[in-house]
Amino acid sequence: MSKSARTRAQKNSKKKNALTQRQTPWGGIVFFTAIGLAAAVAITFAFLQSRSSSADGASIAGVVSKEGLGRDHTQAAVKYDSSPPMGGAHDPMWQNCDARVYDRPLRDENAVHALEHGAVWVAYRPDLPADQRDLLAAKIKATDYSLMSPYPALDKPIALTAWGKQLKVDKASDPRVNKFLLAYVKGPQTPEPGAACTGAKDTP
Amino acid sequence: MSQAGPAPRGRRVTAVLAVLALAAGALLLARPLLGSGAPAAGGPEAGFARDMSTHHAQAVRMSFLVRDRTQDEPVRTLAFDIITTQQAQIGMMTAWLDAWRAPKADPAGPMRWMGGHAGHGAAAGAYSMPGMATPQQLRELQAASGRDAERLFLRLMIAHHRAGVEMARAVLARTEQAQVRRLAQTMVDGQRAEITLMESMLAARASGRSSR
Repeated sequence: MSKSARTRAQKNSKKKNALTQRQTPWGGIVFFTAIGLAAAVAITFAFLQSRSSSADGASIAGVVSKEGLGRDHTQAAVKYDSSPPMGGAHDPMWQNCDARVYDRPLRDENAVHALEHGAVWVAYRPDLPADQRDLLAAKIKATDYSLMSPYPALDKPIALTAWGKQLKVDKASDPRVNKFLLAYVKGPQTPEPGAACTGAKDTP
Repeated sequence: MSQAGPAPRGRRVTAVLAVLALAAGALLLARPLLGSGAPAAGGPEAGFARDMSTHHAQAVRMSFLVRDRTQDEPVRTLAFDIITTQQAQIGMMTAWLDAWRAPKADPAGPMRWMGGHAGHGAAAGAYSMPGMATPQQLRELQAASGRDAERLFLRLMIAHHRAGVEMARAVLARTEQAQVRRLAQTMVDGQRAEITLMESMLAARASGRSSR
């Protein structure tokens, strides 16, 4: 009885097209849902991966940016509008920035040229406790294209500067220090990618 | 019975197709994790690109120094060759890091991708990798001239190249990335050949022979 009813139903459904078919097309639903889900997951994954890149500085809180910085060479003293300077006209000689820790203040005009070459400059106020200074120095010695020097006029204990990018922090252990180095050492802000961190001014 | 067949069979086909689609999607997702996509920021390829860039930068520096300290044509030509080749290779490796969106720095220290056999960490500086000349040796090179400068340069650069070959071999053992393997292999071959050349040049300039 039930078998003959089913046969009849199938005979009927054979004549109908998909739109008038009463039977729910589970196969199709599963098929397209699966494809849709796979696509959604793939897009989300790709988006998250591109966003969470460690080479991205946009997510670091407190970074100050400056655009339109001059790039002229001059041997005269330059008046910069931020302290430490984030870019602008600079001396023809760059300060060597081969993972270098200087124990005396640098001339701004030379340090700015190192920023142009893709270096990150860590400036610290001379009253920074020795253990914090050592922690910073260890990071700089491990990082090519970075340099560190005391900076007496600093308004915060520590300032990290790349060309057009600056972050001031109170402690060397602040996790943003590493993030700043990862994002901006030879980072996308570099006006002159490929330029050297050796071969110019080697002393303060 | 033959009439009851089509519907379930059609459903089975769609189910198989759905499973295939899911598998294809999963494979697509797993690609970067399996290493055929962009290498990870902390992986051997990125570590190699970063460390070899620093290593090369010092070779470029030393080559410029010796060109300023001697007029000997064979040494000056070798130095010119090292400068142009290695600076271009730094550019290639920098472009990889750009394309992989990997950082160009690692404040945690160099050589960690080699599995720490060299015992490096943040305590060891970027300029204390194997084969690297010390600041003192660089000052000596800068102060020397003529045959003395040539001999010191050749000794320093032989050690530098030997460590460079080791580093390139280390990445060859750790990656299937075609572009990384190709450049690393050219480094192994090219620097080995230059080591042989420099050893013969050093022997020809052994102490006692013509000292300008």
